Amino acid sequence: MIVLDHRGKRQSLMPLNVGPSHPATHGCLRFLTALDGETIVASVEEIGYLHRGFEKMVERGTWQQVVPYTDRLNYCSAIMNNIAYCRAVENMFGVEITERCKVLRVIVNELSRINDHFVCVAAAFQDLGGTTPFMYAFNPREEIMCIWEKLTGARLTNSYSRIGGLARDSYDGFEQDVLAALDSTEKALKDLHACLDRNRIFLDRTVGIGKISAEKAISYGWTGPCLRACGVASDLRKDEPYYDYETYDWEVVVGTQGDCNDRLQVRLAEIEESMKIVRQALKRLTPGPIDIVDPRIRVPSHKLAYQDMEGLIGRFKSVYEGIRVPEGEYYCGSECANGELGFTIISGGSGHPYRIKVRPPCLTQFAAFHELVEGGQLADSMAVLSGLNIIAGELDR
Amino acid sequence: MVNVDEIFSVLEEKFGATKESKDKWTVTAIVPAAYLHNAVQFLRDESAIKFEMLVDIAGVDYLTYPNHEGPRFAVDYAFKSMSTPGARIRLKVQVPEADLNVPTLTDLYANANWYEREVFDQFGIVFTGHPDLRRLLNHVEFVGHPLRKDYPAQKRQWLSTNDYLLPALEKRLEVLGYRVVQRSKEVETVDHEFLEGSIKE
Repeated sequence: MIVLDHRGKRQSLMPLNVGPSHPATHGCLRFLTALDGETIVASVEEIGYLHRGFEKMVERGTWQQVVPYTDRLNYCSAIMNNIAYCRAVENMFGVEITERCKVLRVIVNELSRINDHFVCVAAAFQDLGGTTPFMYAFNPREEIMCIWEKLTGARLTNSYSRIGGLARDSYDGFEQDVLAALDSTEKALKDLHACLDRNRIFLDRTVGIGKISAEKAISYGWTGPCLRACGVASDLRKDEPYYDYETYDWEVVVGTQGDCNDRLQVRLAEIEESMKIVRQALKRLTPGPIDIVDPRIRVPSHKLAYQDMEGLIGRFKSVYEGIRVPEGEYYCGSECANGELGFTIISGGSGHPYRIKVRPPCLTQFAAFHELVEGGQLADSMAVLSGLNIIAGELDR
Repeated sequence: MVNVDEIFSVLEEKFGATKESKDKWTVTAIVPAAYLHNAVQFLRDESAIKFEMLVDIAGVDYLTYPNHEGPRFAVDYAFKSMSTPGARIRLKVQVPEADLNVPTLTDLYANANWYEREVFDQFGIVFTGHPDLRRLLNHVEFVGHPLRKDYPAQKRQWLSTNDYLLPALEKRLEVLGYRVVQRSKEVETVDHEFLEGSIKE
């Protein structure tokens, strides 16, 4: 297409389509760019290739049946989404979960965060042509995946959390496995930093690329590591603490530049903070019940159902009719790996959700994508895209 | 330290806001659509707690809500403060079926653009003044608004062609200060056909 720029100079631009099935788009994203040589002059994005109607589907099931659907939002850290959803519903009930459940949730939350950040950094490096760090990052990730297998029976879509508790307690040897995974995480971090920090090619590709100012990031509604990379110390675990996060000794990591390199380095530093939290949480893990005792919220155990009439009724009611969440409207956001995962929940007081709106952290970040890539090279858009860690599952719902 | 309840009383006084009784956990203010833009601008720039971030926009269809009185649709805005960490407020605009117009917030928050497109896509609520009100998640050929309660979940539609982004790209170039003098060949040849849909009966 032929355009006149603001000084009236004639320019010939080439429209170039990227995606939806591009190796660097991790899922299905599409953007159309207008290129001047290799420079992106303008870009527009299209999403929705993975839209499967999460919000319509959950209206048809019971409140507990939403949990497996939340797995599919951010599938790199599925347990975090389960917990964020369950926390929102528990807040509506106004119940306090048990101490052991809280600590276990913190541990699996932070292990998921480590997992998610590793995937992001590894994939970002892979997109820039480096395969070694990918392997370094995926070794400890595999160990955490093995913990998930033992703990939940699944690797990717765990559905571990339940409203009012957890699907099952931890297994024998869980603590040792977690500590071992943390040790290899530490080793991998060392290796990753050796690969990244002074790597000329990597720095050339990421420093100053995809820069955004803090004001703009806030206006775009950025949250999580991407916002913190712009120098804004905003973390829901500190700002609106839940699960006693404020009592653990850890720091909010912030960047300075808000560029692609900062976004990846913030993630690596956050892995270290998460490791700190997990180590402290393991010391707090004391034996005790994991589910709250209230058949109206948490389904009674099989043992109770077979021996006790009340338990049997409770089990029958909560499976067939579903639990009844108090009528009303509520918004609850939790700090997930990518930022604030929010659930706007509207309950009509019945066993089925009336409406659940998900606020995916990726959406706001991808909405700013054109601002990040315009003026840069086409190849840089790949570095920007993987640095944002766009997960199509939660982007498109 | 100001709390959110005080902000609400200012909203009540200045913009005729009423409290949403359905929200028993946090503060939700129902604002008349005509005052929405001013109320949000007040929350962002002038109020004692400044709400710099638009967290979410959610559409709601109350068609089958038990014992619901009032307009069928509503749009829920969630805000959060960056300068006062932990402060949140929600605004709500009621939208009757006969008049589906709500003023846009795209000039105040950059992310309102996509959020409003999503609400338009899922509920058919029109945001007046929105620069580019297209579908966001659903397919370009999709007919209807799937999150409305009267849209059957099992309904299937035949969707054939890719979204056609060239007109959007031209719009974006114009925003950046370029003027398109000669359109891409692709636009001119298939634009017409595209608008009719590529599946012919």
